[in-house]
Amino acid sequence: MKKTLSLWVILVVVLTAGCAFAQGDTLTVAMAADSKSLDPHAAPDLASTSVMTQMMESLVTIDAKGEIAPLLAESFEKLDELNYKFVLRKGVKFHNGEEMKAGDVKFTFTRAVNTGKVIDYVVRNIDVDNIKIIDDYTIVVPSKTPDSSFLACLSHYCAGVILSEKAVNEAGENVGTQPVGTGPYKFVNWQKGNRVVLERFDDYWGEKAKTPNLVFRAITEGTNRCIELETGGADVALSLLPIDVNRVAENSKLSLIRVPAPSVMYLGMNVSEEPLSDIRVRQAISLAIDNRAIVKIAFKGVGLAARGPVPPTIKYYDASLPEILPDVDKAKALMEEAGYKDGFKTELWCRDDKSYIDTATIIQAQLKKIGIDVSIQVMEWGAFLEKLKQREQKLYLQAWNSVIADPDYSLFGVFHSSQKLTGLNRGVYGNPEVDKLLDEGKLVTDGPEREAIYLKLQRLIVDDAAWGFLHVNELLIGMQKNVRGFIFDPSGNHKYYQVSFD
Amino acid sequence: MWRYILRRIVYLAPVFIGISFFVFFMLHMTPGDPAKMILGDTATEENVQLLRAEMGLNDPFLVQYWRYIKNAVRGDIGKSYITKSSVAREVSQAFPATVKLALFSITIAIFVGVPLGIISAIRQYSLLDNIAMGFALIGISMPVFWLGLLLILFFCVKLGWFPASGFDTLKQMILPAVTLSTPSLAIISRISRSSMLEVIRQDYIRTARAKGQAELRVIWDHALGNALIPIVTIVGLQFGGLLEGAVVTEAVFAVPGIGSLLVEAIKTRDYPMVLGGVLFIGIVFSLVNLAVDVLYAYIDPRIKAQYQSP
Repeated sequence: MKKTLSLWVILVVVLTAGCAFAQGDTLTVAMAADSKSLDPHAAPDLASTSVMTQMMESLVTIDAKGEIAPLLAESFEKLDELNYKFVLRKGVKFHNGEEMKAGDVKFTFTRAVNTGKVIDYVVRNIDVDNIKIIDDYTIVVPSKTPDSSFLACLSHYCAGVILSEKAVNEAGENVGTQPVGTGPYKFVNWQKGNRVVLERFDDYWGEKAKTPNLVFRAITEGTNRCIELETGGADVALSLLPIDVNRVAENSKLSLIRVPAPSVMYLGMNVSEEPLSDIRVRQAISLAIDNRAIVKIAFKGVGLAARGPVPPTIKYYDASLPEILPDVDKAKALMEEAGYKDGFKTELWCRDDKSYIDTATIIQAQLKKIGIDVSIQVMEWGAFLEKLKQREQKLYLQAWNSVIADPDYSLFGVFHSSQKLTGLNRGVYGNPEVDKLLDEGKLVTDGPEREAIYLKLQRLIVDDAAWGFLHVNELLIGMQKNVRGFIFDPSGNHKYYQVSFD
Repeated sequence: MWRYILRRIVYLAPVFIGISFFVFFMLHMTPGDPAKMILGDTATEENVQLLRAEMGLNDPFLVQYWRYIKNAVRGDIGKSYITKSSVAREVSQAFPATVKLALFSITIAIFVGVPLGIISAIRQYSLLDNIAMGFALIGISMPVFWLGLLLILFFCVKLGWFPASGFDTLKQMILPAVTLSTPSLAIISRISRSSMLEVIRQDYIRTARAKGQAELRVIWDHALGNALIPIVTIVGLQFGGLLEGAVVTEAVFAVPGIGSLLVEAIKTRDYPMVLGGVLFIGIVFSLVNLAVDVLYAYIDPRIKAQYQSP
């Protein structure tokens, strides 16, 4: 018995002995999820791209003013409607020591288009068969159709980055775990489900990273992320929960960044069926809902009440759209006019997320006032998407995130009638005038003319009451007060290479 | 004895086929399309259909299952839909953390639970007994995730003794292990108590005391030896349960183990990964059960005698 006992103790001690990670010059970032893959053509989710973006760069980028700016390309030029010429920066080294050349650019875009089904929505317009390499540092990349957002697509934080042809071929099937880019940080190791470790790349072409080590930790429990920040286990904590906001704000050692997210949460309505096909009914629903109550209760005061379909941080957002205030009497009158004086029964679908369920419950109570009897169906995320695809929804709660910072991306997929059956237009909405403007907006280059198109579109969609506009969320980031040089990115892919400690 | 062990190991095969079939069936009954989950919200229907075809998801259920079994027999349990790396590799990377956590927890549960149960039995209805069994009741009733959060609030935020998450250092392992061990500890202490109570009323205990045996010897040799079978049974079952409980505990404490792997895989409909994870837990559970059955023979000579007689 004694022997077994001591054996047991030894076994446990041996198994639990691990090695601690050096704290010294290390920036630790707590994220809500682990990366899925570090192959930029395989994983466009935020948990993956926010790591990759420290290691990889694209030809062009979007600067603080929202303009396209050079990055790996020293300069770029639009030759004609379809062709874009890029002059590459000389002496840019990949982490494996190879120099970046035009061949790598062609190889990367070809790979992106041929293998990257998950990033197809970004790269589908690159005409890879006609890419022309002029010399090692000059390349012409054509688009298949004229597209004013083409350069914005090439600036995409994972679909647009340039990979080393040699490194990708050498890695074979393991590209996702052996990332090689040109960025200021290079890959060290990745313990799945736990942490990704990066270190400074000393041969970086630009300003070198300030902190030698960068660690991304996956902490799925929201409150726990906040506690790690409070107890000093993390220097930066992303995606804080609304309930933790005050704790961080009141803590003298921490600072809090709150920025409106490029997303709009909405009440989707399937307009292909009675009674939601009647615009008066949709307007009545909009008027019955008090979205300020949703912000206050379901989101604990975090975020804004939405006014239209385009998030406020996206360009050409119509800031003059009026606040949508509840007016139950007017809503009742509209219902009566539409012939639903006694209301009707309907369903509201939502995913199994606390704030969504709370929102649904608030809407249920508010619609009861105008006689609409709503039954809520809560579904797990995967099941929810699957059911939406069948287009049997009546009312549903969803948020649309403009991961490409362009109003075309905020509107086209969700409102164009070509997306009714299989795309993201889950309300089966269609309005010929909206379609026409959306098509035009894709072609016109940025400027007052394009702005007018999108301003008009926002009015049209709000007047149609295509959605119930509910909530614009906030990105909540907490960090230690001594962290300097954090570069915020509206897409969530914040940059850490300028970060130093006081 | 060895023949018995060998036979039991051979019996594992149908168990695995059963588990894999059941899990496969459940996954296919669950709404949610893996191709859609991979490609995301923004994918075109055309690409989703292409990927479904590529992944063989359009084949009938039994065809897909047969393909899985055929490959599994050759030692290939597939690649993750999401990360594209081999399931065997991902599971084996996540495995040490879970095993450490489970072993650490069961150790706490045994070395605290069993003595607590014994003392409670000897001092039945004493203050100590009441307190211990009261705590045991709370321990069984409390959800693990809630207990975990409470411990974090107290020991990390208030006292600052332990880190709130991670699983690299011994210090990081203490809170998750304590959390996970609590329900098992409670059950083990209760079973130990009732099993001991039954034994110490037996005639042979009175005889042992009558012949002047020291009390400690009476308890340790005569009583515990005979009370051990139910305790070992429950420890074995609890160890299996710990693997299950680890799913929740790992999420709370950000432990990179099988539990975290499984939760993520289920959310993204990563079928091969779910199957791999569940099969792994199934294997460990079966092996622990086997170990418990073998232990019986060492504890109880009567059972050993059964194995030896043909």
